[in-house]
Amino acid sequence: MGKTLLFHAKSVVTMDRNQPRASHVAVRDGRVLAVGGPNCADPWGGAEAHVDLSDTVLMPGFVEGHAHMMAGAMWDYAYCGYHDRIDPQGQMHNGMTQIDQVIARLSEFEATLAPEQPLIGWGFDPIFLTSERLSRHHLDQVSTTRPIVIIFSNFHLLCGNSAALALAGYDAATNVEGVTKGSDGQPTGELQEMAAMFPVMRRTGIDFRDLTQTDAALRSYGEVCKRAGVTTVTDLFATLGDEDVARLAAATARSDFPVRLVPALGAMGGTPAEIAAQAQAMRDRSTEKLRLGAVKLMTDGSIQGWTARVRAPGYVGGQPNGLWNTAPDQIFQLCEEMQRQGLQMHIHVNGDEAAEVTLDALEAAARKHPWPGARHVLQHCQMMDAALFRRAAELGVACNIFANHLWYFGDQHTALTIGPDRAQSMDAVRDCLDAGVITAIHSDAPVTPMGPLFTAWCAVNRRTMSGQTLGPAQCISVEEALYAITQGAAQTLKMDAEIGSIQTGKRADFVLLGADPTAVNPDALKDIAVLGTVLGGEVHRL
Amino acid sequence: MTPLPMTVIGGYLGAGKTTLINRILSGDHGLRILVLVNDFGAINIDADLLVSAKEDTIELANGCVCCTMGADLFLAVGDVLDRRPRPDHLIIEASGIADPARIANVAQAEPDLDYAGIVTVVDGQQVQALCADPLIAPQVLGQIACGDIIAVSKCDLSPALRQTLSGLNTTAVLTRTQDLNIAQVLIAPQGPIDLPQTPHPAYTKWSFTGPDPVDRTALQAALRARPEGLFRVKGQVRGPDGAGLLVQVAGRDIDIGDIEQPAQSQLVGIGLATKLSAKACDLWWTKSALRKQ
Repeated sequence: MGKTLLFHAKSVVTMDRNQPRASHVAVRDGRVLAVGGPNCADPWGGAEAHVDLSDTVLMPGFVEGHAHMMAGAMWDYAYCGYHDRIDPQGQMHNGMTQIDQVIARLSEFEATLAPEQPLIGWGFDPIFLTSERLSRHHLDQVSTTRPIVIIFSNFHLLCGNSAALALAGYDAATNVEGVTKGSDGQPTGELQEMAAMFPVMRRTGIDFRDLTQTDAALRSYGEVCKRAGVTTVTDLFATLGDEDVARLAAATARSDFPVRLVPALGAMGGTPAEIAAQAQAMRDRSTEKLRLGAVKLMTDGSIQGWTARVRAPGYVGGQPNGLWNTAPDQIFQLCEEMQRQGLQMHIHVNGDEAAEVTLDALEAAARKHPWPGARHVLQHCQMMDAALFRRAAELGVACNIFANHLWYFGDQHTALTIGPDRAQSMDAVRDCLDAGVITAIHSDAPVTPMGPLFTAWCAVNRRTMSGQTLGPAQCISVEEALYAITQGAAQTLKMDAEIGSIQTGKRADFVLLGADPTAVNPDALKDIAVLGTVLGGEVHRL
Repeated sequence: MTPLPMTVIGGYLGAGKTTLINRILSGDHGLRILVLVNDFGAINIDADLLVSAKEDTIELANGCVCCTMGADLFLAVGDVLDRRPRPDHLIIEASGIADPARIANVAQAEPDLDYAGIVTVVDGQQVQALCADPLIAPQVLGQIACGDIIAVSKCDLSPALRQTLSGLNTTAVLTRTQDLNIAQVLIAPQGPIDLPQTPHPAYTKWSFTGPDPVDRTALQAALRARPEGLFRVKGQVRGPDGAGLLVQVAGRDIDIGDIEQPAQSQLVGIGLATKLSAKACDLWWTKSALRKQ
């Protein structure tokens, strides 16, 4: 038996209705021993050591139910995005709203590189910079000799400078789909889709496996989580070979790794039975800080890329309906096999047609192989309406909603993708809660920055970048939002018995905040400082 | 280095892609073909042809290799290009939902790859229903529209089916999968060929071994003037004065590199049986390269 530690905070927001507020938490062997006042440890023989966190407000550690490991290691590259963003070391990178600012940032970054190293940038999104298109001429201002590659935030496009294009032999004579040409007949530098991007990426050493399947990537991800106050994080769509699992088990076990990791195996590259067998085999290798056994399914694409599968009347611009990444038949087969084998699924659904087909598949699977506690999770759920949420509730299916989209892409959805009326009811957290669905909200980092308080702010205020409130009827209360980023998200991971609230017997996973989120103006939720985390009783101060 | 010819085999789920791939992998064609598949689920190789089988790679006695592509097709293609020695030909099995054209486009973009065509396999019994299913029709139609060859499985190529498919793709060669031989798969984009309607592999394999030296100019000229239908030639040629030449011919690409002088010239070639006989190849080589009557 370990020591009894007594944590003392300015206030403890427990998220446990039996005792909503406290000042002290006693912890032993990584678990909460007692919650209450200064004497709460007394029935257990008293505290043997004190941990003074009296400058902070304690909450249950946040749970990020939908993010990707890459969110850490992307920072090895130069950030070129439109929005302010904080790197894993805590440094703020101001958003760049003009191409000139991007060029200036790249020039600074270029000066730090070794002579032979290509310059790679990430996070650039032309949807926000409408005045002119980023071209190789801009990037040639940074260097004409060092290859420069800027990966756009959707990962479907990049822009290279002349030196990068030359590596792939792209010139006026090139006639390849995706190699964009200007009016002068020369490549502009913009390369669309992987086929055209591949020759440049290959020659500049960009390998996305380095951003996920290395210890450095994992450490960096841990730092991102710590700064966001997240103590349990997913990696939804992981490659998990034998070696990957061994590496993750070793690296997450280190006491300085500040987060519990829940990777979901990407359902690709195998028959449903093979994928299920792989997930089954790794489930037993779970540890306190590494939870294995869930599976992630892709279905459609993204709404802002017009690749999500949407129901009639479709996209407002008349764009053709989106693309399946997994055919409906396959979705049915996968759902049936995972359900049969008792494997929990996280299923990507952006468009409402994708949500509908997936619910059909889950219903069919549930009829064949009843499993009351399956708790499969629909992920993103961006266009689900009340009727779809009711079906989810009936089937015991949880929903993790992409609330950050409201701020980042809400204006674009209104103007360009699905029109003002349906944009109003996007990411309908109110409907989801009212239907009685297990509800979580997420960032999908690195697509948007990880920050559960910001995500909660989005769901509460539904503010877009232009300042409008997008669909006030779908706003939720601060308490509901705090539930969604703790208890709710923990339920989607089937970990709610051990995390998600500060309660006797649960794991001592806390976030240290600068203010009580229930006491500030709801508009200020996103501005509350994260001062660190506690994982299993271990303090990780920023 | 000679670009690696790349063929994409596409088609909706259950169309019969794997049946075709199994045939290619176990075929006696003398080519080291590397096939990237989504999964080994239905890959079926005779035990006596198997050299080794690992989590993600199967090696065969005929020199073929089959690998799973993992989560990212393009990273897998990069790994294939980094393999030494490189295979003679790369075949990619597109997933049942993928647009083969988007994959094949990488062969146009990447200097180390050569586009060798798209074969779209179509389940003749299902295709009408799929093309009428609003959920999936656009993606199925796209797969059919981009094929250089449309291979129909599971039924005969009835006039009605032929009409449907030619309506969806006016330029592709239409054939039954069972009539398709490996040679046709490997040279798909070189225009419609008179496809033999025989159930047996209709290709000719030619090989040559001999000590007589051939100089580079003569070799180049000979390869350029090779018999029509001899679409792949590869091997080592003994040159004059201690020289050695590495030959790689694929379609219009003729590549001659320098190597250490081999003791013997050794060449293998492959082509369509309807257009080529081994005897014609022997005659061509003797006359134009060795310059003997």
